[in-house]
Amino acid sequence: MNAALYGRMLSVHLKGFLNYAIGSAFYILLMFWLYPGIAQNAKAIDDLVASMPPGVGSAFGLNGFGTAEAFISGEYYGLILVLILSIVCVQLSTQLMARLVDQGAMAYLLSAPTTRAKVALSQALVLATGLLLILGVTTLAGFAGDAWFLRGKYAFDTAGFLRLNASAFLLFFAVGGISFLVSALSDDEKRARGISGLIAFGFFSLDLIGKFSDKIDWMRNLSLFSLYRPGEVVSGPGDMAVTSAILAAIGLVAFGLAVGLFRRRDLPL
Amino acid sequence: MLTVQQLTKRFPNGRGVFDVSFEVRQGEVFGFLGPNGAGKSTTIRHIMGFMKPDRGSVRVNGRDTWREQGRFQADIGYLPGEISFIEGMTGKSFLDFMADLQGLRDKTRRTQLIERLQFDPTTPIRKMSKGMKQKVGLVAAFMHDPKVIVLDEPTSGLDPLMQQVFIEIVLEEKARGKTFLLSSHSFPEIERTCDRAAIIKDGVLITVKDIHELQSMQRKLFEVTFEEAAAADAFANAGLAVESREGNRLRVAVQGDYDRFTAEIARHKVRNIEIFTQNLEDIFMNYYDRKKGITP
Repeated sequence: MNAALYGRMLSVHLKGFLNYAIGSAFYILLMFWLYPGIAQNAKAIDDLVASMPPGVGSAFGLNGFGTAEAFISGEYYGLILVLILSIVCVQLSTQLMARLVDQGAMAYLLSAPTTRAKVALSQALVLATGLLLILGVTTLAGFAGDAWFLRGKYAFDTAGFLRLNASAFLLFFAVGGISFLVSALSDDEKRARGISGLIAFGFFSLDLIGKFSDKIDWMRNLSLFSLYRPGEVVSGPGDMAVTSAILAAIGLVAFGLAVGLFRRRDLPL
Repeated sequence: MLTVQQLTKRFPNGRGVFDVSFEVRQGEVFGFLGPNGAGKSTTIRHIMGFMKPDRGSVRVNGRDTWREQGRFQADIGYLPGEISFIEGMTGKSFLDFMADLQGLRDKTRRTQLIERLQFDPTTPIRKMSKGMKQKVGLVAAFMHDPKVIVLDEPTSGLDPLMQQVFIEIVLEEKARGKTFLLSSHSFPEIERTCDRAAIIKDGVLITVKDIHELQSMQRKLFEVTFEEAAAADAFANAGLAVESREGNRLRVAVQGDYDRFTAEIARHKVRNIEIFTQNLEDIFMNYYDRKKGITP
């Protein structure tokens, strides 16, 4: 890794990361603020969900309002956060590699005494740092929300909440790795964004659609997102160790391939 | 100092560079001339290690630029043909960034260069004109005092005054023993600085020659307007290569024998003389044509 490059690149993208992190923190605080009101009517809402067509509830993560972490896992980690982080992965991985090659600024990085592997690795670390930062701030905001709005009056399972965040990080480590791989192999910024956007949101849609009905449940098996089950993770570790290992492995392989292939390819700079 | 050896790269569309070899000696300013699309950029991409040669190799100060990534760059300064910096930076923050990457601490040289090229480094890059970006790029290429400097179309976008400053800087650095490779599609741009030049066309190196030799091969077009029709007639029949005639105005191609041309026009009353700027193919037209005859 090249420390100077990592530091500079992180500072270039820090503002963007912080925007997403702060946005995410506010959203989760909003959820905590809403929760006490919802908890009092949990039964009524559960009934309402039960009256919807089967599948809709599970697709949109309306999986119980009994506990704060179940509510958060469904309402935030099930949909909004996934969308936010998918956007971050696609946008950022494109900016970190393909854009620099497309616009030519990569020529400067490679004309300095460093290797391509170091450049790619530093950029990959910037992406991973960004994801860690956004989820770290979100986690802290969650604890703040618990202390601020729930004040011990409503149950909040800290361990479950941490598991939730860890598993979200691993999912996006894998998604980020794949979009980074696409970006590292692309000469064209727009095409890189298009392809990794298609992959990320394709996975997302397959998972979402698969959840609607048992008949098309198989679609979920095609999607990386099926390894991320916020509703189940909060209530217990389950097979989280296995899915986490798979996600981490996918991420590491994708980042590794990105670095290895970037090292050998011709660059039109 | 810079050796390109039998460099071959074929792209899927059939273009590329084929068996290109030349050597730039230490302290030499070497011009790399060719029309757009001739293979200049492809060769430079190989020199900078951005592409893997199909065959052949490039060495800078003895190091292979594809295999020894991370080490050869310490000796090289590079100005890309199309300048693009990282977004959201000012000129200064970009130069700081490059200094960091190059492990450069001493900033005196950078300050001197900025003063000479006269630009405000605190301007955000997205607000800079092309010429100003070119200046920032030049500072980045020179500031770490590299042994070899590769400049791709260095004076495009610079005004005549700054082109002069640029030429001065190149000549000074040359006097300090620095080696240059300067690519261009315009002969006048490099004839003032270069010792030798290579001409490349369609991916093949046509010739490597002393710049004075190239100057004598150069073909210039003069448009002479005579006072009288009789003078124009006489001049037209004097045996010079008259390309066209329009009333008393004649267009003549001259290659090398300026004496004869001046002697002929001195016989008559001349109202006006204009020199035409031509593209590289026209300047070396005969040379290209001759080559074509040998290797079809």
